[in-house]
Amino acid sequence: MHPGIIFFLVILGSILFHIFTPWYWTDVASNWGGMDDTITLTFWIGGGVFVAVCLFMVYCVFKFSYKEDRKADYQPEDKKLEKILTWATTIGVVALLAPGLVIWNNYVNVPKNAIEVDVMAWQWGWQYRLPGEDGKLGTTQVVNVTDDNPFGINLDDPYGKDDVMIQSDILNLENNKPVKILLRSVDVLHNWYVPQFRAKMDAVPGIVTYYWFEPNKTGEFEVLCVEYCGVGHYAMRGGVIVQDKQDYSKWLNEQETFSDLIAKQQKINTDKTKLAKK
Amino acid sequence: MSEDFNNNKTIQAQSSETLTGGGGGGLTPDMDYVRPAEVTDQDLYHGHSFITKWVFCQDAKVIGVQYFLLATFTGVVGLILSWLMRLQLGFPGAAGFMTAEHYYQFVTMHGMIMVVYFLTALFLGGFGNYLIPLMVGARDMVFPYLNMVSFWSFFVAVAVLMASFFVPGGPTGAGWTLYPPQTILEGTPGSEYGILLMCLSLILFVAGFTMGGLNYLITVLQARTRGMTLMRMPLTVWGIFTATVLAMLAFPALLVGALMMSLDKVLGTSFFMPTILKAGEVLEYGGGSPILFQHLFWFFGHPEVYIVALPAFGIISDLISVHARKNIFGYRMMVWAIVGIGALSFFVWAHHMYVSGMNPWFGFFFATTTLIIAVPTAMKVYNWILTLWKGNIRMNTVMLWCLGFIVTFVNGGITGIFLGNVSVDVPLSDTYFVVAHFHMVMGIAPLMVIMGAIYHWFPLVAGRFLDEKLGKWHFWTTFLGAYSIYFPMHYLGFIGVPRRYFEMYDSPYMTSAVGMNEFISLAAFLVGAAQFILIYNIIKTLKTGKPAGKNPWKANSLEWLTPTVPPEHGNWGDRLPVVHRWPYDFSVPGAKEDYITQTTPPSEVVNTGVEKT
Amino acid sequence: MSDPKIDGLELKPGFKGMAEDTGSDQTMFKGVHWGKAMMWIFLLSDTFIFSCFLISYMKGRGSTPVEWPNPSEVFALDAFGVPVPLLLIAIMTFVLITSSGTMALAVKYGYEKNRKMCGWLVLATAIGGLTFVGMQAFEWSKLIHEGVRPWENPFGAAQFGSFFFMITGFHGTHVSIGVIFLFIYAYKVFAGHYDDQKRGWFTSMKGDYVEIEILGLYWHFVDLVWVFIFAFFYLW
Repeated sequence: MHPGIIFFLVILGSILFHIFTPWYWTDVASNWGGMDDTITLTFWIGGGVFVAVCLFMVYCVFKFSYKEDRKADYQPEDKKLEKILTWATTIGVVALLAPGLVIWNNYVNVPKNAIEVDVMAWQWGWQYRLPGEDGKLGTTQVVNVTDDNPFGINLDDPYGKDDVMIQSDILNLENNKPVKILLRSVDVLHNWYVPQFRAKMDAVPGIVTYYWFEPNKTGEFEVLCVEYCGVGHYAMRGGVIVQDKQDYSKWLNEQETFSDLIAKQQKINTDKTKLAKK
Repeated sequence: MSEDFNNNKTIQAQSSETLTGGGGGGLTPDMDYVRPAEVTDQDLYHGHSFITKWVFCQDAKVIGVQYFLLATFTGVVGLILSWLMRLQLGFPGAAGFMTAEHYYQFVTMHGMIMVVYFLTALFLGGFGNYLIPLMVGARDMVFPYLNMVSFWSFFVAVAVLMASFFVPGGPTGAGWTLYPPQTILEGTPGSEYGILLMCLSLILFVAGFTMGGLNYLITVLQARTRGMTLMRMPLTVWGIFTATVLAMLAFPALLVGALMMSLDKVLGTSFFMPTILKAGEVLEYGGGSPILFQHLFWFFGHPEVYIVALPAFGIISDLISVHARKNIFGYRMMVWAIVGIGALSFFVWAHHMYVSGMNPWFGFFFATTTLIIAVPTAMKVYNWILTLWKGNIRMNTVMLWCLGFIVTFVNGGITGIFLGNVSVDVPLSDTYFVVAHFHMVMGIAPLMVIMGAIYHWFPLVAGRFLDEKLGKWHFWTTFLGAYSIYFPMHYLGFIGVPRRYFEMYDSPYMTSAVGMNEFISLAAFLVGAAQFILIYNIIKTLKTGKPAGKNPWKANSLEWLTPTVPPEHGNWGDRLPVVHRWPYDFSVPGAKEDYITQTTPPSEVVNTGVEKT
Repeated sequence: MSDPKIDGLELKPGFKGMAEDTGSDQTMFKGVHWGKAMMWIFLLSDTFIFSCFLISYMKGRGSTPVEWPNPSEVFALDAFGVPVPLLLIAIMTFVLITSSGTMALAVKYGYEKNRKMCGWLVLATAIGGLTFVGMQAFEWSKLIHEGVRPWENPFGAAQFGSFFFMITGFHGTHVSIGVIFLFIYAYKVFAGHYDDQKRGWFTSMKGDYVEIEILGLYWHFVDLVWVFIFAFFYLW
């Protein structure tokens, strides 16, 4: 069999695989559908170039196979052709880059009405904190983290008192409401990623990083850690439940705030001292 | 190519001139004139004993083979590690001893070995040492002693790396990127001794490489033979030369990063370590920046990609040209593309860090520079296929590897455009799409080049051809196998499967990929095993292969024109070669044969359509 | 082999000359000894190492939450009971720069084949370097005595100690290596190895006074780096 045929079949197989693959991205469940569109565009342009280059190669292999009595063409360069190809490539690249940059611009500019969510990561788990009625999150410090203060909130920060604390790896979000995810880590790098939302960012110890998205499908999603964080990395999962406004408000009201927690702790402590006195 | 010396008429008048067209009128007595030698002939140390000839040897060719063999050895270790990883991914639990710790150690060592100790050492240390002096017409590297020390530093670096398998806690399992803080904290395997040996080994490698790299650069810059201008060098030399420049400027960042990391571990400094809460206790670190390490690492890491890719670009250009019997299309464009890619590669490093938490505004800059690199790279691809166009293509094993390279490289290059484009990278980064991309573009594609180069230059090194039939089996299993590993793997990334997962249990989109993982693993076993065909082929043909004789491929470049094959120490016998043209005068109209070697003086090819170079 | 003289080759000045050399055959840097070209490129690579160190230092200094100590207090030295800022460091810098001067003279006398002058000047350079390393050791011990460690620092941010010891240590290693080679070369000059073209012990290459210039390049580079370290650590 002529080798060119096999190369041709490889190209054909790649195209067919792409068309009929059962493995493709999950349905997007956030506002970042534009990322999918850019990927599709890149697929068309890039895939087109791939197929064109490879088919041209296969053609050459068939057409110009070695013959004793034939001599190859002698043409060191072709300025015009090279110029055309350079410009065509440049235009293609610009066409791909432009939408990418536009979406990135949206990605780094968070809408004003986004709810801030503090996502705190450690080896190997997550917990979440939402702002209370004042709409602001209290400041935190790693050294403050104790059993009594799981998020390390600065006790003298008035904004921290009414923060809603979710000491579970499952977070509820309101549908069609933008969220700004504020990521922090107390030990190593992590990354809070829901494939259906497309967006991600590393959590880096020592600083707070962020990204935002707006969920637009209700349902339950799995959270994955996608920045290698030690032996437990693969098991570091969490969950997101996207709910309608009603369900969400109901859920939110059931959650404990920081002052609730402090009060509870104090009660336990006084109970303890009482017990000791008895 | 007459514009080469437009702005320097004097030199042009002195260097050789070849006639264009069949005029014949320009036949003057000094048409073969080449400027006199500027440098006295090199003073070489000739070994006498077995040890000075084959062990602590100062002959670049022997050093090249030493590099080649040691790099191949580490490559086989890396290959076995990849088998173990694929065993776990395709058939979880099949290897009873495999824990998550082991898995992550194998991932890390596989990555570091393949990138640094296999590909870099093989292309620059192996091919660089063997080919540069021969191709530029030098007797040897300019500092043979330093060159020898370079290899033995590499040897010690490999020994230290391998030793890390046997220390308590085993080798580091921090991922080849070695991101702090987890690299040196409990919870990561090998965070006690493994990481220190890794850093030490990298520092030794950089030191050794610097010694070799100085040799490659000065040999190319200052020890070319008469008539060998920069624009007459084979693209192989251009690729290795530019890659060496990159390495000389990029490895310092790795060295500094590795040193600072070791200090963080040993002395408890906090260069990369912020305040950390571990198991309820605050560690004695504070105030450092983990992202600083990422910047240092990728300032090395991205040029490193091109340190591997540029020699591959160069070598493949020469192979295609020789076996398509046609000059490389757009030689000058190819040279400037190599140089341009090399220069740009220092301005793109943070495209590995779009979602690392660095200032997101960097994304705009680095996405733009990254996609600019696509232009010269695409030009190179066009020129390769345009070289095939109207060629006279020998469909031998070497050419098959070249074609395999083009397919895999273009595929991997295109997926690079996905990842370089900042917002497209966001959903895909840290998934199997990335794994598939870089394996295709800097694993499989350079491997294709290495293999092609082995089949091409083996007759020079050993004086015998490798067996073609075995070679074809080797090629087709490797190419088809590797393509069916990495092409479908991109789609795992689309589903959202993250990389560096020891097990993929429970998640809906992961369980849907179980069948594909099994298939990929089986293909990986096959491809790995196929590499032993080459080893068998080499052992078999070393003694019994068809003798190659002089210049068996009818190539033009100087390495095939030595008085003895294989070349001896000193390469050229009594007289250094004199170069009159570029190495791509294939199928020149009017010439007797379909090739004109670089040493053929113009007076022998009058009345042919040679263009001035 | 000193820098080879090429018969009939006239080097053109300026950019045009450079382009011409680049386009020519055999050598790019016309008449430049291999070893000298190598040292230049090695120094370029070394520049990147020191740049990485200093940029890391800037980043580290910028991102640490604890305050950076005041250099003019930390590095002050008591002279007759009065704390004088940067006293020691001024002397150190002076010594090192002076040694660059003696090195340059050594190169000149080397090319004039003036064995004695060349040897004494190389030796003087070596002693200057040794003095510098000695004073640096004194400064280190003073800081260590005051409680500064790579991992902690009583005056402020711990990174101060980390970066200071690492970068001055790395530079000090460069100086020390230079000093060792200066002593070896001083011996070789006095013993006449360069006049007799005696072959080297390791490399078995013929000796030549150009080696003094190559070592000189290294030495000037180490001085230049010190100027940057001085500016970044002591004046910022």
